[in-house]
Amino acid sequence: MNKTFHSESGPVVWAAIIAATLLLLLVFRGTLWLVAPALLALLLYHALRPLVRALIFRGMSREQAASLVMLVFLIVMATTIFFTAPRIAGQAIEWQASAERYLQGGLNLLQTGLRALEERFAPFARAHLADVVARRIDQSGGLVEHLEPLTVGLATYLPSMLLAPFLAYFFLRDGQRFKSLVCRAVPNAYFEKSLALFHKVDKVAGAYFLGLLKLTALDALTLAAGLWLLGFSGSLALGLVCAILAWVPYFGSLLGGVLVVMVAATDFPDAPAMAYLAAGLFIVVRLLDDFFYMPITVGRELHMHPLVTVVMIFAGGAVAGIAGLMLVLPVLGVVRVVGETVGAVVMDTRLSARHRHARKLRQQLAERDLTGPHG
Amino acid sequence: MLFSLKGIRRTTPYLEKLRSLPLFAELSTQELAILAGLLHVRDYVGGEVIFDEGEVGQAVYFILEGKVTICRQGRPEEGFLTELGSGEFFGELGLLDDAVRTAQARATRNCQVVVLFREDFNGLMESHLRIAHKIGRQLLRHLGERLRELGQATGNHRHL
Repeated sequence: MNKTFHSESGPVVWAAIIAATLLLLLVFRGTLWLVAPALLALLLYHALRPLVRALIFRGMSREQAASLVMLVFLIVMATTIFFTAPRIAGQAIEWQASAERYLQGGLNLLQTGLRALEERFAPFARAHLADVVARRIDQSGGLVEHLEPLTVGLATYLPSMLLAPFLAYFFLRDGQRFKSLVCRAVPNAYFEKSLALFHKVDKVAGAYFLGLLKLTALDALTLAAGLWLLGFSGSLALGLVCAILAWVPYFGSLLGGVLVVMVAATDFPDAPAMAYLAAGLFIVVRLLDDFFYMPITVGRELHMHPLVTVVMIFAGGAVAGIAGLMLVLPVLGVVRVVGETVGAVVMDTRLSARHRHARKLRQQLAERDLTGPHG
Repeated sequence: MLFSLKGIRRTTPYLEKLRSLPLFAELSTQELAILAGLLHVRDYVGGEVIFDEGEVGQAVYFILEGKVTICRQGRPEEGFLTELGSGEFFGELGLLDDAVRTAQARATRNCQVVVLFREDFNGLMESHLRIAHKIGRQLLRHLGERLRELGQATGNHRHL
């Protein structure tokens, strides 16, 4: 975020940042019911904050503006759910059947690909690669077997997700007050530097969350447009699912690519070229995302060294499973900023000296009338 | 009416104190109340350093009570430049860019200041342009005055 502070952060600070991130993920593993809505609330907060600001500009108090914006948001959400819930419930069974169909389509494509490999390369043929893979997949059970616990697991998080708008409302209403409260606790010597960093973090976080929403919309629309041109049905939904999956770094994109290929293999069983076209389109969209959309939306400010990113993703997955995979980068981003800020401020010897001097002066002031002629 | 678009705010002693500061003289009570949410009140004891020469400026300081000495780094007596009192402000160039402070500021005696950060001022320009415009105009007047003083002192009147 700030090059000056990157250069000031030594290996000790970085080791502390990585250790704190992993420790937090371990804690979050047990409190995922709170962490997930808190992250969603942050996203909501940054998306709705411009509206609150616009209303304050028109003369409303912060409380009124936050209440009105949240009320309108809840009404829109409730209306959307009211009109879409019956349709979703009606199609749920059909979706399960579709999911099995698409998985079967993907498996058929895999088998075709493996058989082609066996035909061309003798070692694969001798190892009966296609049969071995098919056996392994059969042993791992059907999709329903895995889908049911996953669906039940996700459903248990739904009630806690209701916390998200509630938290977002208080972020919008009391964010400024909380900031003032935190600032009051910072000693004079560190005050200006700490608050300048605080502003920087706030600005970058706001740009990141808003950028993430814009990036998702751009990714979804581009992929949907490409799939629609290729003749896919439900291209918008597929584009949106892939764009949301891309929130999970690396693995999300990989899963999105597999999903698109599976749908292509199922919807166009007699045209294997379509699967390659869909995969190609997906790669083009990911390249567009990396080199064009990302710089104009999220920016590269939050990007870390690729090696650190990959190692931390694996570490996050090992410590806290799928939740760890999803949360490791946002958590690392926050911990890094806090760690570097604290490191930069605390290790500034001039600021420490000024703080000690101020404490001495205050101490002298407090003791002044205690040391009289009889003292 | 549940939400009023033009809520009337009552003034308070703190807001009146803010109004007495030259940069905020043109602001209405409501505008002052909005601005007050962005200001940070800090108390310094006599002799305490407020900022150092050479530090990157991020904010402007307004003196509500007490006195502040502006001097060369670490030399409040032989490097004395000026003393500012209640109602005056310093470090105003911090509102404009990342330029370094050209002098040290120390509390001469116990003082209370309010601090406006550049980022908050930039935010005001986006969300409350009218308030930022009024503050900016006063700041320009002030800087113009300083420039005239400097011109008269050096005999360079090109800027006039």
